[in-house]
Amino acid sequence: MSTQLLQLAWRNLWRNPRRTFITMAAIALGYAMLMFVACLMAGLRWQMIENGTRLVLSQIQVHAPGYYPNRSIQKTIGGQKGTDVGALLTAIGADSRVYASAPRVYGYGLVNSGHRSAGVELLGVVPHQEPKVTVLNTQIVKGNYLSDRVPMGVVVGDKLASTIGVQLGSQIVLLTQAADGSMGNDLYSIVGVFHTGLDALDRSVVLMSLSSLQKLLNLAPGRIHEVGIRLDQIADASAEAAALQARLAKTPPVQVMDWEELVPELSDYVQFNRSITFVLFFIFFLLAVIGIMNTMLMAVFERTRELGMLMALGMRPFQVIGLILAEAAALAGASLVLGAAIGAPLLWYLQVHGLDLGGATGEVVSLAGVVVGHLWYGRQDFPAYYEAAAGLAVTALVSAFYPAWRAAHFRPTEAIRKV
Amino acid sequence: MDDPRAQEIVGQAARLFSSNSSIATVKMQVSNEDGQRNLTMKIWSLGEKVLVRIDGPQDQAGTAILKVGRDIWYYLPKTRRTVKLPTSMTMTPWMGSAFTIDDLVKESFLTRDYSIATSFEGKRRGVAVYEYTLTPKPEAVVVWGKIVLQIRQVNQMPAWQGYYDEDGKLVRELTFADYKKMGARLIPTHLVMRVADKPGEQTTVVYEDISFDVPIGAETFSLPNLTQ
Repeated sequence: MSTQLLQLAWRNLWRNPRRTFITMAAIALGYAMLMFVACLMAGLRWQMIENGTRLVLSQIQVHAPGYYPNRSIQKTIGGQKGTDVGALLTAIGADSRVYASAPRVYGYGLVNSGHRSAGVELLGVVPHQEPKVTVLNTQIVKGNYLSDRVPMGVVVGDKLASTIGVQLGSQIVLLTQAADGSMGNDLYSIVGVFHTGLDALDRSVVLMSLSSLQKLLNLAPGRIHEVGIRLDQIADASAEAAALQARLAKTPPVQVMDWEELVPELSDYVQFNRSITFVLFFIFFLLAVIGIMNTMLMAVFERTRELGMLMALGMRPFQVIGLILAEAAALAGASLVLGAAIGAPLLWYLQVHGLDLGGATGEVVSLAGVVVGHLWYGRQDFPAYYEAAAGLAVTALVSAFYPAWRAAHFRPTEAIRKV
Repeated sequence: MDDPRAQEIVGQAARLFSSNSSIATVKMQVSNEDGQRNLTMKIWSLGEKVLVRIDGPQDQAGTAILKVGRDIWYYLPKTRRTVKLPTSMTMTPWMGSAFTIDDLVKESFLTRDYSIATSFEGKRRGVAVYEYTLTPKPEAVVVWGKIVLQIRQVNQMPAWQGYYDEDGKLVRELTFADYKKMGARLIPTHLVMRVADKPGEQTTVVYEDISFDVPIGAETFSLPNLTQ
């Protein structure tokens, strides 16, 4: 396609500015809308991954082989084999991609408030280390997070607290089957209440200090069930998990898993979310085809006489096709630039201020099982923006092809007589 | 196809530990992959009610378990609290052992719930036994797919009992030994329970003393008494 042809095409576009503008506006707004949707969907995906990994799970977990998924409390890292958990933590922390790591102990048991009981998951963490890996400490609605100075203090979810009828400062009994089979039991006091909006956590988790839970479960201080790891970039999770697996596999033997392995339903959801975005794109492209084809058909039929003249003067049919396609390409290009200009501030707004869903109520809102808070923040998804742009450009060319083909088949002798 | 003799022998074995009331002193050794623990305890039973009080080791002493019908309470001396187990947790293994409380005291309904067939007569592990295979009667509500019971020919005492699931897979096995006269009855005083899919785990129960049909006041099985 020569520059001359492009020049001609560009000039042609502006011979009827109103028509061109309307079409450009349609495509540009469509492009802005696609970016808007992609940005929100990426925000939802990000929020889902954040919720799934940052509250308690973490991005990568290290276990003793065979611990996952049955979580038998005897299958600890360290302990009998005299392995050094401190050295393991140091080795993990030495990796440049690791932001922070923290040891954890898990148990199952019964919480009793004196008159009511509930089965719970016991989660033991190091109060000053865990907040670097997960953010449950930011979800405290009453009281405080755990502290190294209050070893018998525990933090519970708000729904659990109301189920068993306890408040801040209440004493509770935890009863569990310890690692040696004995009945571990002790008295604790509630120092904090958290609310995440996720039922599974709010209803059935008791958070306590690692050393207290080790004592309750009759586990020696060196024995832990898990190391949770947070990376600088979550996108590195699977690569880093593989690297750690290779590097740490020797002593003690460990199993390293990233969040996609730990919660396959989460990565399924991410896939599902991408598919939905793709379907939305596809529907929009179909609409765009109709719009552009209409414009180009009108543009061709209106100019039958002119095109007939050009052909009479010696323009070949393929050159006519080239001209019309060039017009479509120019139209699409200009529209995308305009669309990007309209979209950019919207995308910036979504990322910085978020979409207000709950209004002034400040209620926690969840979408498709994802707690998004009352503000739904977007995330920039540049690959999707490029795909949308490329898709729209291809759509414009494809939909211009029929009008172009029609124009190429004009008979010059008839065409020049049309008014 | 029940033959009366098999009925009688199995019935006798099943009723060995059952009575209106009993008081027993028991040593229990629980082994799992983490090591082993020795517990001593006293068990009172009266009809549907059972009270277990742990006497040792020191850190567990005073722990008491009261079972009345389907309800179970734990008294925890460390916290001085009585905790009622939610019904969903009453079937969990007891004190980390392979036994349930029912295994130690409850009258067994082997003859009521199962059809009994003699499946073998001869030597098993060097001991002459009668072997009976018990399959649940259609109307019986039971957890096992079948139970195999071996009775020593010499004194008609149980020697081995295997519990199988619906697929005919061995789930747990109970081995009996040390037959002694205790509480005016001849009983096996040494019982070992093994769980098939957990090779490192086994629980041994040794009866040090047991008396049957002794008078026990109903107040023994009350919550206030639990904390004594």
